[in-house]
Amino acid sequence: MPDTEAHPITVEVVRNAIVAYADEMANALCKAAYNMMIYEVRDYCCGLIDTQGRMISQNRGGLPIFLADLGVAVEDGIKRWGLDGFKPGDVMIMNHGQTCGQHLNNVVIYCPVFHGGEIVAFTANRAHWVDIGGARIGFGSSATTEIYAEGLQMRSLKIFEQGRRNETLWQIIQDNVRFPDSCLGDLRAQIASCQLGARRYCELLDRYGRATVEACIGKIWDQADSAVRHVVESIRDGVYTAECRLDNNGRDLDQPLRIKVRVEVKGARLTVDFSEMNPQTQSPINCGRSGGIAAARVAFKCLTSPDLDVNEGCFRALDVVLPEGTMLSAKPPAALGLWSIALPTVVDTILKALAPALPDKIPAAHKGDMGGCSFYGAREDGSRFLLMNIFGGGWGGRPHEDGEAASVSVCQGDVRNTPVELQEIRYPFLIEAHALREDSGGAGQYRGGLGVALGYKCLVPCQVNINFERTKDPPWGLHGGAKGEANYAIIRRADGSPDETVLKGTQIPLRAGDVVIFYTAGGGGYGDPEKRTREAIMSDLAEGFLSAEAARRDYGPLA
Amino acid sequence: MNIVGVDIGGTFTDLVGVIDGEVVTSKTSTVPADPTAGVAESLRLANCDPRKLAEVLHGSTIAINTVLERKGAQTALLTTRGFRDVYGIGRSNRIEAFNLFFHRPKPLTRREMTFEVDERLNAAGQVIRPLDERQIESIARQLRERRIEAVAVCFLHSYANPAHERLAGEVLRRSNPDMFVTLSHEILREFREYERTSTTVLNAYVGPRVRDYLGTLETYLRRENFDGKVHMMRSNGGVMSIRKAQEEPVSMMESGPVAGMIGAGRLASHLGIARCIGFDMGGTTAKASLITDGMPAVEEGYVIGTPASGQPMQLPVVDIVEVGAGGGSIAWVDPTGGLHVGPKSAGADPGPACYGKGSADPVVTDADLVLGRINPDRFLNGGMKLDVAAARKAVQEKVAKPLGLSIEEAALGIATIADSAMSLAVRAVSVNKGVDPRDTTMIAFGGAGPLHAVNIARQIFIPRVVVPKVPGTFSALGMLMASWRQDFVRTFIGRIGSLDAAATRAVLAELAGEGRAQLKRDGVSAQGADFRFFADLRYVGQEHTLPIRIDDAGMLTRDTSALRDLFHVEHDKRYGQAAVDEQLEIVNLRLVLTSARADTIAEEWLAQKWWPAEQSAETSRHVIYGDAAKPVESRVLWRPAMKPGDVVVGPAVIEEPNSTILIHPGDRVMMTPAGHLIIDLAFEA
Repeated sequence: MPDTEAHPITVEVVRNAIVAYADEMANALCKAAYNMMIYEVRDYCCGLIDTQGRMISQNRGGLPIFLADLGVAVEDGIKRWGLDGFKPGDVMIMNHGQTCGQHLNNVVIYCPVFHGGEIVAFTANRAHWVDIGGARIGFGSSATTEIYAEGLQMRSLKIFEQGRRNETLWQIIQDNVRFPDSCLGDLRAQIASCQLGARRYCELLDRYGRATVEACIGKIWDQADSAVRHVVESIRDGVYTAECRLDNNGRDLDQPLRIKVRVEVKGARLTVDFSEMNPQTQSPINCGRSGGIAAARVAFKCLTSPDLDVNEGCFRALDVVLPEGTMLSAKPPAALGLWSIALPTVVDTILKALAPALPDKIPAAHKGDMGGCSFYGAREDGSRFLLMNIFGGGWGGRPHEDGEAASVSVCQGDVRNTPVELQEIRYPFLIEAHALREDSGGAGQYRGGLGVALGYKCLVPCQVNINFERTKDPPWGLHGGAKGEANYAIIRRADGSPDETVLKGTQIPLRAGDVVIFYTAGGGGYGDPEKRTREAIMSDLAEGFLSAEAARRDYGPLA
Repeated sequence: MNIVGVDIGGTFTDLVGVIDGEVVTSKTSTVPADPTAGVAESLRLANCDPRKLAEVLHGSTIAINTVLERKGAQTALLTTRGFRDVYGIGRSNRIEAFNLFFHRPKPLTRREMTFEVDERLNAAGQVIRPLDERQIESIARQLRERRIEAVAVCFLHSYANPAHERLAGEVLRRSNPDMFVTLSHEILREFREYERTSTTVLNAYVGPRVRDYLGTLETYLRRENFDGKVHMMRSNGGVMSIRKAQEEPVSMMESGPVAGMIGAGRLASHLGIARCIGFDMGGTTAKASLITDGMPAVEEGYVIGTPASGQPMQLPVVDIVEVGAGGGSIAWVDPTGGLHVGPKSAGADPGPACYGKGSADPVVTDADLVLGRINPDRFLNGGMKLDVAAARKAVQEKVAKPLGLSIEEAALGIATIADSAMSLAVRAVSVNKGVDPRDTTMIAFGGAGPLHAVNIARQIFIPRVVVPKVPGTFSALGMLMASWRQDFVRTFIGRIGSLDAAATRAVLAELAGEGRAQLKRDGVSAQGADFRFFADLRYVGQEHTLPIRIDDAGMLTRDTSALRDLFHVEHDKRYGQAAVDEQLEIVNLRLVLTSARADTIAEEWLAQKWWPAEQSAETSRHVIYGDAAKPVESRVLWRPAMKPGDVVVGPAVIEEPNSTILIHPGDRVMMTPAGHLIIDLAFEA
């Protein structure tokens, strides 16, 4: 049976194969990784990029926010080296702040794919290293004001040149990061993952030929684009705006940050305009252009093609207006350490803008931050440790049901919290509770989901970074629903001094026996609380999601 | 020796036995209210005298259906103080990353029935806070008052030290002897509290129903003077004793589907097929599994239900993809005029409209009947006459009339939609994994499998379909080939090179001891048993592990170079790299204990030469394939009358006692010497 260029069954095989390869790359990276940001939190993405920097495919799961940025990294390399500057056996390393727009811990590895003597694509992955040097350990520090304090930058350098390791660069990395065994182990896993993807893609080309495969990829993009346009066309034309604020930049605590978006729908195109976004800050709450584009893409994808695999075609109908110098398009030498902190709120604000146009498609606000903690210190035997974890929080009530509880943000997908048992096996902590936070969901016909409470007791002296956001403008309700409870943390000292409430803090010292309890936000409510059914309220009371007191306050007497 | 396998599905109860060297089969409707009645009926239909049987092997969907339908016991959960929400919070992940309306797994227990216990161990298993027996007694009292039938206990770090769980279990079992109690360490001694809790709750949740059902079954068999052994098919591809199944019902979740895939693997080996897709279509669901070199893949755990919102189950399981489309799937029209098939199934009662039990809902089998694909007089070997008029009426009223179609057009639409849903499952085990279906063969079985297989294979370009002997009861046949198997695990963390030799030996000895005890309890001879030990290893600093087979403790504690080499090779094979200079760490020790069947009766029968058993004249009838307006005159053959080497080119229908094989125009079928049918599909050039 001869294959025509884009035989429908070949398109199906290619469609599934290219995503399966990206998934296989992700599996090889995740399973061989040395740090929990990769193996548990899945703070990575893997994909195939074409020779123009366009996304052929990306792995399922992992971080939604990594939508705009593998191509940007590869494009930079193509510009610097030229396509003919790549040789078989080359492996590139890239985390340049200005180009990638993210914190420097997110290191991209990419490999040129050669087939029949010509370069046909790149395989690439980005993964969060546990450390990249610089002034601060771990994440969640608000202390830096420029990128140079945040660690080592590598811009499209060859870590392997024609199969030979660049020992100088390897040594520089080894000597400049705090956990070299972990980082170099992850680097090894990243390289192997790219090489695996390259082998697989070559197998596909062997089988069908480059022209056929590329015809299929073009077809797949066109199909995605056409499906997306169809959805955009169904949204009423118009200009929609919304605004909210972040607490502060972590340094000037009384200065809120403005998140303002304007969305324009016209026919089959949707434009997200960030022109009135807060200017870039004198703190690490900034991201480069690709971060802003990613936030717009996440919101767009949730509305237009939540079920489709991610590829270039999903975003053709989206325009993003993003002038230079905002906190989503920061210019050098802006610090980028907390690059992603604002993004879940940005996504929610885009959704909020469109809520009047799509009342049945948009839930109330979710917890709105990336939620995590970072403890560091030395064990009794002197070895250094860094514990990181990601928390879930409440999601907003939905048009026909309550919001989900204890779930990671819209910018985090198959991101998992770390098992308590695993944390206690590895780190000197006793975790006191991992629980749902009662009464935290915003009231409504459909209430917001609950946040969580998670308490850590330190067994040795250590330090913690706390970085909670959206404490002054908590997750909003929609269509009459109430707001959810905001994020906060308390520190309960072993010496009996009064509990301290902490929203943001870097390098807070802790003694053995001190306890830090994190409370994450609940989601906003959807619809008028008066419309909530009695059965739903009674069930919440019986299950303990709602206290009697809060029930009376939010829903009135239940006689 | 006489043995039978009985597989209870949602719709049918299938039996395959080898009695005095001959294979016997039967197929009868499942009796949901009293599954044992279905077993009794299937034995009667096959003329099996329970007194003559040495062994009954059994698979059942009772456990998984109890979960999917959320019809399990009222189950309580006991946790460590501070952790009652571990089960509800899960891992906080959102697998459908861009879905704003995602659902995460919904607990099978109510939060108000979750009790926090004042006890605490640390990661080393040392007691930080002792368990108070009186508190457990008080909880036990509350459970009794509330008539709670089942309880799951999962304390933090119980894999390291099960003392608190044991004590709690003793108190609960003593004070509530009828309550079904599951302690997490008894079924899974491995860290990760959420997955362990979920597995433990699943066991407790299905426990009372499965225990009672198996008790009833055993009572029935003993009453019939059966004095042989009863073995249950389990998800890991092996079998276990009925008593073990009553304690650990969670391990029989996939018992039916797995057996068929084991059988398909043996058939693939017999036919020399390296890579095939087992396809099993029954009354309620269709399942597919990729089989390489005769063995379906076994995974460490899976999710029951959909990937995003299903319940994690951490015990080993054969990798199978399932969709809710079967012969009994109900066709319906939504208010906007969309035609859908399933996931609701008519099951065995009332069953399809054509059963004449009063159902007005058309199902896939009704459509097949309207299309002339099934012979109304030969269904279930003539045991059940199908009512064509009732089938036509149901299709007419519920589909044809609302959509303004002819009855035939509506029936063809139902069959087409069902085929496309099922092709998704087959696609999921092939193209979704980067395997080109054009390089595979489909082995089709299940009562409805051979009827739909060719069309599904054609949709995704699988060139060849094999329909084994006794396809309608093939899953039950697979059971007759499965080994006894039990998996054991212990979390045991340490660096290779500095492991305490005595402690290592002690853990291995403990695993072996448990294995021997289990063999003894099940009456399985230790002599033929195969003890395979595995160490879950990783490079220091990594999290995920790879299982490496070990011969003895010395490999871990004395000269570890062989172990290191094996790990580097495996790591390189899986992940494309190895770090030969790095230190290794062990996380778990595992024992996979199997005992092959003493006999190979069923395998021999698979390869045994086929002789026509009966004479039957070829007939013909009109069958609708691709065009509802153009029924095609088709040959109708009776499989028991066919001879090895016979070749038939479609359009044709091959009928046999418990299944029907539809050969589309142009497709070519040939019978192998052993009587299996190989269908080569005709594709338009």
